[in-house]
Amino acid sequence: MLEKTVFSTPLPYRDNLEVKAFLFGMDDQGCKLGDELGIGDIKGFEKAICVVGGIRGDEVQQTFICANLVHKLRRIEERGNLVPNKLIAVVPCVNTASMNIRKRFWVGDNTDVNRMMPGYDKGETTQRIAAGVFEEGQGFSYGVHLSSYYLEGNYLPHARIMVGVGLQDNHGADFGLPYVLRHVPGSFDTTTLHYNWRLWDTEAYTLYTMETKTLDYEAADLMDRALLRFMNNRGIIDYPGHGGFLSTEFSEQALVPVQAGCGGFFRPLVKLGDIVAGGDVIAQVMDPLRGEVKESITAPNGGVIFFECRTPLVYEDTLAFQIVPRSVNKLDADEVRGNFLDPEA
Amino acid sequence: MMHTVSSYEMGFDEHLKVVKNRIVPLGADEDSQDLPRICVITGIHGDELEGQFACYEVARRVGEHPEHLTGIVDIYPALNPLGIGTISRGIPQFDLDMNRVFPGHNGASPYESIAADIINDIKGATICLDIHASNIYLRELPQIRINEITAEKLVPWAMEANVDFVWVHANATVLKGTLAYSLNALDTPTLVVEMGVGMRITEEYGLQLADGIMNLMKIAGIWSGPVNPVRKPIVSTDGEVGFLNADQAGLFMPAAYHDANVRKGQVVGRILDPATGSCLQEMRSPSDGLLFTLREYPIVYPGSLIARVLSKNSQAPIADGATFDNSCSPEEGR
Repeated sequence: MLEKTVFSTPLPYRDNLEVKAFLFGMDDQGCKLGDELGIGDIKGFEKAICVVGGIRGDEVQQTFICANLVHKLRRIEERGNLVPNKLIAVVPCVNTASMNIRKRFWVGDNTDVNRMMPGYDKGETTQRIAAGVFEEGQGFSYGVHLSSYYLEGNYLPHARIMVGVGLQDNHGADFGLPYVLRHVPGSFDTTTLHYNWRLWDTEAYTLYTMETKTLDYEAADLMDRALLRFMNNRGIIDYPGHGGFLSTEFSEQALVPVQAGCGGFFRPLVKLGDIVAGGDVIAQVMDPLRGEVKESITAPNGGVIFFECRTPLVYEDTLAFQIVPRSVNKLDADEVRGNFLDPEA
Repeated sequence: MMHTVSSYEMGFDEHLKVVKNRIVPLGADEDSQDLPRICVITGIHGDELEGQFACYEVARRVGEHPEHLTGIVDIYPALNPLGIGTISRGIPQFDLDMNRVFPGHNGASPYESIAADIINDIKGATICLDIHASNIYLRELPQIRINEITAEKLVPWAMEANVDFVWVHANATVLKGTLAYSLNALDTPTLVVEMGVGMRITEEYGLQLADGIMNLMKIAGIWSGPVNPVRKPIVSTDGEVGFLNADQAGLFMPAAYHDANVRKGQVVGRILDPATGSCLQEMRSPSDGLLFTLREYPIVYPGSLIARVLSKNSQAPIADGATFDNSCSPEEGR
């Protein structure tokens, strides 16, 4: 393994921000990057996959998944299970400066690095960080970003692809995650890593895991296995594991939103992954001072709970759940954007 | 009269409300569809307060002489009321920029529903101003920023708004989530004003813009009373604006005045190291021109924007044939 600083900048009264990439590769003779091979030997490798973790400072779970991935790849490398001449890059954390103070966006001006792609090396600070990361991640066959949602809630683990922009190849099922969701990008998406990867001919995926600010070890392990499964299925490593899920693929348009009809304490009665029938009571909103039930939220139709709000207090119109209908059709049209703002906002 | 534009119940015994003050001519119906209408909007970003004083000043002037009012004045003082109340630029809880959720729609979050309510309330107006105040980092000369795709329609309005500078900028897809983009797409002319600095009020700028708003009202047939003369702004495109970004982290101290003409190579500020007493970087103007943006917040990172300079010779012509369109057809509705 070769450790490389892909971007560095001084911070006022703090240590420098150093964005680090971990590179794995082995040539035909079994010589490995970081051992017999140095940074100058990288040009002989095919850029196979780049995995990027926490771009935001609160994406602790995403960073944890990448750190574990680095650890697992190290073991795979030691065993000689890397496919020769394939380069793997992992950038576990882009924004360590914000992560150290538990702040989602950039420490200086609160801008979002994942709204600055592909970056500009002479622009503002977050544009420069984005440029450094994007330059490192460009030219790979596959790009995987572990991201998070702006609303307080959790998704079932899934892979998401942006359709209708740039490269349209789709091997999302090779992760073996329960779902592959097709997302039609909006204007907000055009400055994300995923969008720009696709635009520049990298087959990009965004992976959503449980949790963001806290660690869920089980969910992290599931995602690490999915990443290794994808690498194995795409011929980047030779490390066969179990097959995972037979993914259900659908357009985000198929997701059925369920909103709270009033404000108060939110008490979910179902959990992620539960199968519900139309008319089932799936949550209650309670009067926050009197304790009585103000609203019983019912499922508008049957399906699987795909997103669940995690905030104890909801406003009227808060997105409480999203349900994947049981009869979701892989061939649903992708022309129209889905019924929520943006997954990566 | 105060109206509730949007209202959603919060967790505890409170509603999140966006309000407006509608001022109508003496004897006119509050719901009149036939009168021209101006919307003065501010407070999408909770840390931008310059528009508060401009709203106050317009409401005060109209209130003192209601006999001159011939159309409707709608004042929206706080589109992001929780942001203003909590000194938060974005939407509290989500740290989300409210000016990226327009035109909004139902089915996701209260703020997207609020955005949709706001658009429904404003659309069809004769002219709108969305007043911003830069941010807490930069001080801006009163200016109007116009997306190039709407320049032909909006520049004639902007020329009468008593700002110093009209910046016609390139079309960026990311701007499609803004209030102004959404309203302009609905054929409701909307000018984006930037002036002053975040978390502060510059009274001089507020009075200047209020003069401009009164002048726009006169042109739109909303005000028949006297107005103060307005200045002719410089009109410029992206190519005439030079940027100065820091390359060092440290303490920025300006060495030139905001709203002053500078020469190419002139030092407009320095980045200092307070611990060692050394100068880390001298920031020099890229051209002769007007220093229309200047760093206000002194701590900088590499990349922090320090200044923008409008090239001395810039003065883009107005598109041939550009004229006002201040019609208010009944079909457009409120």
